[in-house]
Amino acid sequence: MSEKEQNHTFTSWLGQYKALLFKVVRAYAVNAMDQDDLFQEILIHVWHSIPTFRKQSSITTWIYRIALNTAIKWVNKERRHPETKEPLDPLHSILQEPGIQVDERLTWLYEEIYKLDEIDRSLCLLLLDGFSYKEMAGILGISESNVGVKINRIKKQLITKSKKQTDYGI
Amino acid sequence: MEFDELKKIWDSQTHEPLWVINENALHKRIQAKKSQAHHITTISELLLIFVNMGMGGIVLGLTISKGSDNLFMYLMGGWMLATALYVLASRIRRLQGENTFDRSLLGELNHALSMATYQVSLSRLMRWNIVPIGVLSLLGIGEGGKSVWLLVGLLVFFVLIYVASGWEHRFYKGKKRELEALQKKLQAEGSLKAGQNDTKSR
Repeated sequence: MSEKEQNHTFTSWLGQYKALLFKVVRAYAVNAMDQDDLFQEILIHVWHSIPTFRKQSSITTWIYRIALNTAIKWVNKERRHPETKEPLDPLHSILQEPGIQVDERLTWLYEEIYKLDEIDRSLCLLLLDGFSYKEMAGILGISESNVGVKINRIKKQLITKSKKQTDYGI
Repeated sequence: MEFDELKKIWDSQTHEPLWVINENALHKRIQAKKSQAHHITTISELLLIFVNMGMGGIVLGLTISKGSDNLFMYLMGGWMLATALYVLASRIRRLQGENTFDRSLLGELNHALSMATYQVSLSRLMRWNIVPIGVLSLLGIGEGGKSVWLLVGLLVFFVLIYVASGWEHRFYKGKKRELEALQKKLQAEGSLKAGQNDTKSR
């Protein structure tokens, strides 16, 4: 594959699946600097993955796989080297909120997803985006039964917490 | 809330991108990276030229002035001078090519990337260049009948330089990777704009 073709595919994928990448970034990185950093890392990995895409899975599944694996590795790397970056002024952040009113229940949901461990975060995103247990198992490289157990636990946890939130009026 | 309700909230808002790409911030980041790449490349080129020229000149000068018949020392001096000339020629070629980049954001980024690519290949070449210089030095000193300990010390010294230059090479590769990431972001911004224009024209 020539670099021109690779760039063309990359641009086309980004146009269609940017929202998906942002979801992963939002679930794994909280502050602007980390979000920028993770977004960059995911873009690079997606770009490098293009020549190896064999159309055995859908593009969505492929991009999710790359983005989630990159995010999990990134979290582990950040944990090992947390002190290597300087704070970033939000004005200089490359990713900016478009100024649209965001449902505070969605913000709450992202916060709850962020509190989960790395694998559970991935599962939660895939679950909310309607992936089957088989697809989740394939993306994350764990068994379907393991996916089932984890999903049940995540659902219970989210439902319990959401009930508490509703009691507080959110 | 039941899980289905959570999913409805999720579905209602997550199909649209959460963020937009801040073009100004991206531009500033690219310019900062470009001037950093320019600075690093210039310093390392000049350092390579002066160090190789100086050392090669000294080795050749001393060997000639002593009237020594140690062929390896002549070869090493010549090799170092040739290295300095090669880097000088590469620098001139690089500077001549600088005018081919346009002043657009993408042009500046491509310019920075081309400098980073050049720096990566230069550091790789200079890393391998330690091998002939090391071998010629050891042979030259061995021919001069110096002690074995001096040879061992020199060998350790060259090995250490080789390892350190590997770190340096990885550092430049990291810088290049940062620029590639910015290039991907710029493409992401382009694809977002294209998407917005498509929506407007519908």
